[in-house]
Amino acid sequence: MVFEKLQAIVADKLGIEESEVKLESTFRDDLGADSLDLFEIVMALEEEFGVSISNEDVEQIQTAGDAVNYITERQ
Amino acid sequence: MNSICDMLGIKYPIFQGGMAWVANHAIAAAVSEAGGLGIIAAGNAPADWLREEIRACKKITNKPFGVNVMLLSPYADEVAKVVAEEGVKVVTTGAGNPGKYMDLWKEKGMKVIPVVPSVAIAKRMEKGGADAVIAEGGESGGHIGELTTMVLVPQVVDAVSIPVIAAGGIADGRGFAAAMMLGAEAVQIGTRFLVAEECKIHEAYKERVLKATDIDTVVTGRSTGHPVRGLRNQLTRSYLQMEKDGADLNKLEQLGAGALYKAVVEGNVINGAVMAGQIAGLITKRQTAQEIVDELMLDLKEVMEARVRQINEELYK
Repeated sequence: MVFEKLQAIVADKLGIEESEVKLESTFRDDLGADSLDLFEIVMALEEEFGVSISNEDVEQIQTAGDAVNYITERQ
Repeated sequence: MNSICDMLGIKYPIFQGGMAWVANHAIAAAVSEAGGLGIIAAGNAPADWLREEIRACKKITNKPFGVNVMLLSPYADEVAKVVAEEGVKVVTTGAGNPGKYMDLWKEKGMKVIPVVPSVAIAKRMEKGGADAVIAEGGESGGHIGELTTMVLVPQVVDAVSIPVIAAGGIADGRGFAAAMMLGAEAVQIGTRFLVAEECKIHEAYKERVLKATDIDTVVTGRSTGHPVRGLRNQLTRSYLQMEKDGADLNKLEQLGAGALYKAVVEGNVINGAVMAGQIAGLITKRQTAQEIVDELMLDLKEVMEARVRQINEELYK
């Protein structure tokens, strides 16, 4: 469930197909997000899932799967 | 009273940009003495250098001044401590998120003002405790973001409830007035202060800025994710060619290493990085910091009044 919502958010922010967002996709290299996009995505995830992602943690989140794990652990 | 002037205890809402290698105690003190906010740039310099600069600045002025902390600096941790220890009132930050130093600085009652390139980052900084943000458009010199000042400032103003300082492409009363119309409470100006008498950079650098025209800046490093704006010369030509040829990051970094120092200190404007904003073309005269600040304040009022009058007469009669 978290993954599906995340897929939709990431796809929406980056203007790509939801199916392109896979668990193993890296935000930067695979999906072409730059640092500004990453902050957009992080803000949207925080809002959607009611979690708070610290700046240090943002740097650790490399793939969509990392983000899903992060959110699931904290929900 | 203007919210930024009130918050920082300054007379005029004019910040002098924290330009690495350029903005030392001399120009910072001169701008603060003139009623604006002078800013010493820590850049990549060691903490001891900064401590000396802060102390030298205090010897010239007892007015508030700031320090720009470049968060990617190898000395960022020590620099963050030095600004707190030395009682600096205002810190602006660039190239990252100042989150981990926030508590240290806030405890000392310092005002923290990050430079932001987008709405999302501005909101995040506000949430993290920033007192204001500098919305800096890509017209600026040095390390830049993608959005222009014209589009970034009003959107950041709408998104946050803390004051916004506009930066990028502002060098005279017209730009100042426009920034205020977009909702900014203050402006940050870099390029125009490059040619201030108190700015102790190499004469050759100043000459390049004074001679620059509207189309003379280029952006290098887009391919690396760290774009930098400067006046075009042999260095930018080689760099752009290498980027086009798909040179690897190491080679590009080698070419860029020490290039700013080469231009600022050694005056090598052919192979050094002559960083300047797009507005360099508008800057044609050498003045003291006081003259620059006074002229900006005078022109702001004149421009505003004249345009409001004209618009009223022509469009709302």
